[in-house]
Amino acid sequence: MGYTSPSFLLFLTGSILLYFLFPKKYRWTVLLGASLFFYARASLKGFIYLAVTSLSTYFAGRILSARNQKDKETVKAIKDREEKKKQKEILKKKRWHILLACLILNFGILIFLKYLNFMIDTVNALSGFERYPMLNLLIPLGISFYTFQSMGYVIDIYNGKLEAEKNFFKFLLFVSFFPQIIQGPISMYDQLAHQLYEPHDYDYHNLKRGCELMLWGYFKKMVIADRAVMFLNVVTADYTAYNGTVILLALLVYTVQLYADFSAGIDISRGICEIIGIDMVENFRRPYFAETINDFWRRWHISLGAWMKKYIFYPFAVLKPVMNIGKKIKNSSFGKTEYGKHVAKVFPISLSSLVVFMVVGFWHGANWKYAGFGLWNGLIIMFSELLKPVFEQMTQALHIKTASFGFKLFRIIRTLFIVIVGYVFDIAPGLSSSVDMIRRVFFDQVWTAETVKTIADISPINKDGAVILCIAVIILFVVSLVQESTGKQIRDMIDEKPWPLEWAVLFAGMVIVLCFGIYGPGYDAAAFVYMQF
Amino acid sequence: MEELLDILRDIKDDVDFENCDTLIDDGILDSFAILQIIAALNDNYDIAIPAAEIVPENFNSAASLLKMVERLQNE
Repeated sequence: MGYTSPSFLLFLTGSILLYFLFPKKYRWTVLLGASLFFYARASLKGFIYLAVTSLSTYFAGRILSARNQKDKETVKAIKDREEKKKQKEILKKKRWHILLACLILNFGILIFLKYLNFMIDTVNALSGFERYPMLNLLIPLGISFYTFQSMGYVIDIYNGKLEAEKNFFKFLLFVSFFPQIIQGPISMYDQLAHQLYEPHDYDYHNLKRGCELMLWGYFKKMVIADRAVMFLNVVTADYTAYNGTVILLALLVYTVQLYADFSAGIDISRGICEIIGIDMVENFRRPYFAETINDFWRRWHISLGAWMKKYIFYPFAVLKPVMNIGKKIKNSSFGKTEYGKHVAKVFPISLSSLVVFMVVGFWHGANWKYAGFGLWNGLIIMFSELLKPVFEQMTQALHIKTASFGFKLFRIIRTLFIVIVGYVFDIAPGLSSSVDMIRRVFFDQVWTAETVKTIADISPINKDGAVILCIAVIILFVVSLVQESTGKQIRDMIDEKPWPLEWAVLFAGMVIVLCFGIYGPGYDAAAFVYMQF
Repeated sequence: MEELLDILRDIKDDVDFENCDTLIDDGILDSFAILQIIAALNDNYDIAIPAAEIVPENFNSAASLLKMVERLQNE
């Protein structure tokens, strides 16, 4: 029951109607019922894993919450300062063991299901023969998303930032909420949960705006992404048959397709929430307008970035051994120089960033090529931070006006180039083929009529389809450009118009999606790219 | 406070740390700046700021940073 199927739209309409018809006190139960139904329809076996995560996290949260309170009182009652400190550490350690057990169980399930075959494959490859057979493992729908979300919740309780939810079924709703289970965003408990539990009233404005956002999502998914992926699939099926120019075109198509697909799914999810009256966290802020790679990762998959920053990057970076690296550099003779001082400050942080990008890389998939993806992004950030003073000196020496439009455009194109090179690791079948693909793109460019003919011959999109795709991408670009330059949402601009015009725009959007979208009998709509996580 | 302001200015000299109280909310401090501040505060005040303390309430202004430092020193 994908977002683009009629049965989903029927399910959604029924769920929303039921939500607003239910007594206010029990409206959250409609969301829970709908979420469980949606999950069961998608994967009945996966339900067991969802239940294990929900139950274990719920009980760990309850125990930790109760202990936080009790331990606080115990420590408060101790008068001696040293004894107080000692007792505090002992109690904290006990709470840590509870948290650790919960983390090991849930991340253990995730690692087992997602990475065991990858580990077996690596061991087999290293030993040179099929020592261990691959296992047929089921990966439950949205396992990374709900695991990350649940673990964030229990870590926040351990840190004393949250009180545990007492009602298990309410907590189950937070874990299984259907608009986010397919491909996120990964919400923080304190941002989302209370919105799920409190009743929302029907609001025409919310309905209209939610539908607009969903429609924009369907436009990106059905008119752009599902059309673009057809060409991409042909090239990536056997990239060795094509020269660097064709591969470069496939990479550019992927750049558009990935953003259109992923942001479309998020827009549809956020639109659904908006209809109900729930403000779901933003996941994209026009990432291809980023001026640095750091900036790109603040605009792309924002919720994953926020999760990684809060639960991996910061905790790793403040570890004593990591911080001590900076101190060691600072105390060395190199650390006494002006540049050395900068390196001492930035190196441990850059190293932590590299570690996070390796985790993000492997989060994307169980394949060594994603180590390449992580290394590429992590090393670029590391060197851009380490060499910042050098770049600043260079721009000064060259009298470059850093605030000028030209320089800004240069930075955007440079960042996009880095991002696109990183995408090679996504579309290539493996690590060595990623390197081969990059080599072909750089050293096997064949700009001839023959290449144009090859592209036309292999493309499953006919001439009309290609024109529709180009126009749709231009619309996407113009909308993004308006949003980026004015800071306003197109929907806000439509809101300011008289209602007949508003509905005319909405109607036109529906017609465009229905006429130019890729769907219908015999066409198997491509699953959302991020659904596999 | 003056000592803290000097530490902060040494990390980011283009920010009005004396008056700004939206250092995180307005994205003035990024994660690299936050971690540099933590390293400097740990060193100067002999504390160990844990990751759980990295919340806007503690990092939005110089005053809230000082409050956090004093609290951790007393713990």
